[in-house]
Amino acid sequence: MLPSTLVYGFANSIILALVALGFNLTFGISGVANFAYGALYILAGFAAWVLFNSAGLPYILAVLFSVLLTALAGALMYRFVILRIKGMVLSEVIATFGIGLAILELLKYLGFIGYEYNLPVFMDFSIDIGQVTIDMQRICIVIIGMGLTGFLWFFTHHTRTGLRFRAIAQDERTALSLGINADRVAALSVSFGAAYAAIAAIVILPLGTITVEHGYDVLINALAVCIVGGLGSTGGVIFASFLIGYAETFTAAYIGSHWVMLVPLAAILAILVIKPSGIFGQQKELEERI
Amino acid sequence: MKKSFLLLSFVLVFSCVWLVLTPLVSAAEPIVVGVPTSLGFLEGKESLKAVQMAVDEINAAGGVQVGSSKRPFKIESIDLRDAAAGVPVPEALLGLEKIILEKKPTALLVGPFRSEALLAGMDIIAKYKVPLLGTIAMSPGTEAKIKKNPEKYKYIFRVSLNVIYWVKLLGGTMGTLKNEFGFNKVYLMNQDIAWARGTAGFMAKKYFPKAGWEILGHDQYPTGSSDFSSGLMKAKGKGANVLFTCFDMPQSGVLVKQWKSIKVPALIAGFISPMAGQAAWKTFNGKIGGLMNAIFEIGNIPSAKYPPAKAFYDAYKKKYGKGIESGHGPAPSYESVYILKEAIERAGSLDADKIVAEVEKTDKKGVMGRIKFDKGHQVIYGTDPNKTAAACFFQWTEDGKRKIVYPGSLAEGNIVLPSWVKKAK
Repeated sequence: MLPSTLVYGFANSIILALVALGFNLTFGISGVANFAYGALYILAGFAAWVLFNSAGLPYILAVLFSVLLTALAGALMYRFVILRIKGMVLSEVIATFGIGLAILELLKYLGFIGYEYNLPVFMDFSIDIGQVTIDMQRICIVIIGMGLTGFLWFFTHHTRTGLRFRAIAQDERTALSLGINADRVAALSVSFGAAYAAIAAIVILPLGTITVEHGYDVLINALAVCIVGGLGSTGGVIFASFLIGYAETFTAAYIGSHWVMLVPLAAILAILVIKPSGIFGQQKELEERI
Repeated sequence: MKKSFLLLSFVLVFSCVWLVLTPLVSAAEPIVVGVPTSLGFLEGKESLKAVQMAVDEINAAGGVQVGSSKRPFKIESIDLRDAAAGVPVPEALLGLEKIILEKKPTALLVGPFRSEALLAGMDIIAKYKVPLLGTIAMSPGTEAKIKKNPEKYKYIFRVSLNVIYWVKLLGGTMGTLKNEFGFNKVYLMNQDIAWARGTAGFMAKKYFPKAGWEILGHDQYPTGSSDFSSGLMKAKGKGANVLFTCFDMPQSGVLVKQWKSIKVPALIAGFISPMAGQAAWKTFNGKIGGLMNAIFEIGNIPSAKYPPAKAFYDAYKKKYGKGIESGHGPAPSYESVYILKEAIERAGSLDADKIVAEVEKTDKKGVMGRIKFDKGHQVIYGTDPNKTAAACFFQWTEDGKRKIVYPGSLAEGNIVLPSWVKKAK
């Protein structure tokens, strides 16, 4: 039992990290807590499904377009909604949560109700790791999750746009004085976060079916990981993903599966009581955020 | 003077015309039927479509005879959202009360999705005295309340399967698996909601031990769970022959995918809502061959041995361009419209008490078998659709067909084990 718990716990942790990376990226740079994140994740899943099954596009193109569309939706959301209320944290939360609800309810209204919506797995077979059998989709998730984390580090440390991201994250006024357009960078960060949500959806959703309700779970998981790890800290996200991921898997294996959904919520509560800024949440140490 | 006379004449003529036409206008006044349920879930959505289908048929045939006039049905629906994770029962009850107060329905059809909401909503229904022909919530707690206080709760009926009959269906199917294949080790996995908890709990405590089964484990998953690997690994490690499942959430399809990927050498038998419809074959890439799933009311699956069920399924498919995908809800929802129509016609009135008295007398052969209610206002189930309502178990064949395997009166073939599941004897 222990080997399988360790293997599936690792995969579960990477899934959580993938889900939370985009949310964390957006917050770390623009300071916007994008509560439409779960809805964008589901939107990307349905977009890929429609483009692949109804429009008949090759799957790779369907995936590409769905990621681009979701990124565009994120940018538009920033340009037409968030920009007007930027700095008013409560308004940002209410507005983005409202947009998320609108997207999810619109999907329901458009008839995306049922069990037939799913995305194809990348490789349809299982392998044995010791005595543990695991499907290749989870292996793909682990590889892609680690790849995306590495890419994020490289992007923010070795590209011009990435360096602008960090500049804005560190000190917006100084960045402005150096000619960096803070609004454009913030819009890009929301767009990047949305694209990360889309990629996570494309990689994770083939494990099951696409349902509108799953959008809420995604948001809760992303929030839990970011709050526990420390909002804005990529290292914190990774650490918290493993903490919560393994806590969930061990709870399911040794305590009871019906307690699993309490784990992220309990983690949020615990961290808010013990260290409200999160395990790695050091507001001053901005280098760590990205 | 002449002008006054003309005006008076006009008023008189207008009054006469109005008096003559008024009964005709009111004769065409529709009978409102409310459909409060979880419309954002497949069972609710398809149940509403089935109600619409029956209403269209009835209205096309002239409507409902109420006394001396014929009146059409009119549907008013509301999304109670009670099936969604995290939606509290009081919120669902607000929707139930809203449709009663605002739309003034003669009767309610389909009703709350979750038994928790139905049980709590019984007092609202009793308060406003609106007959409810429920077709989704399954807890027998409603019958107990009706039997305890029949005068108060007489307005509530269930046209679909309840947990007691569901357990009987399961008992028959598990008995067949034991007799034919020697299976006697079971691992239970269920959603943590009233009907599924009740079913699995009853099977674990009452049925399996007495029938000689060894229970290897029992996991309960909250609504919204999407990872079942730990339970499946435990089942595999302990050598289960059968995975007994009870789920009605969309995410439960993940269980089947993980069952395949982890290669658990046990037969899945129970209810997993995403597995019930024909589309599941395509959704799960044809990898569900061998899986056994229940259909709570025939008609939701075309039964070759009971023509009315097949006729209903085919008519639904023709009307909406797609077959029924849910294993629970549409057939009894369709049936409930006709039950209501016939009760109103026999009562000759829209009075709730008179309608209830006539619904109690229902005895008709419908798309899900013969419909009769017991004293708890539960439709009576059995194994022969010519005598009672009927549920069934089907098995996905390796070429993507749903073959009914239980009960015998409806069976289209025998249970065949998938290649990776071996007989125990």
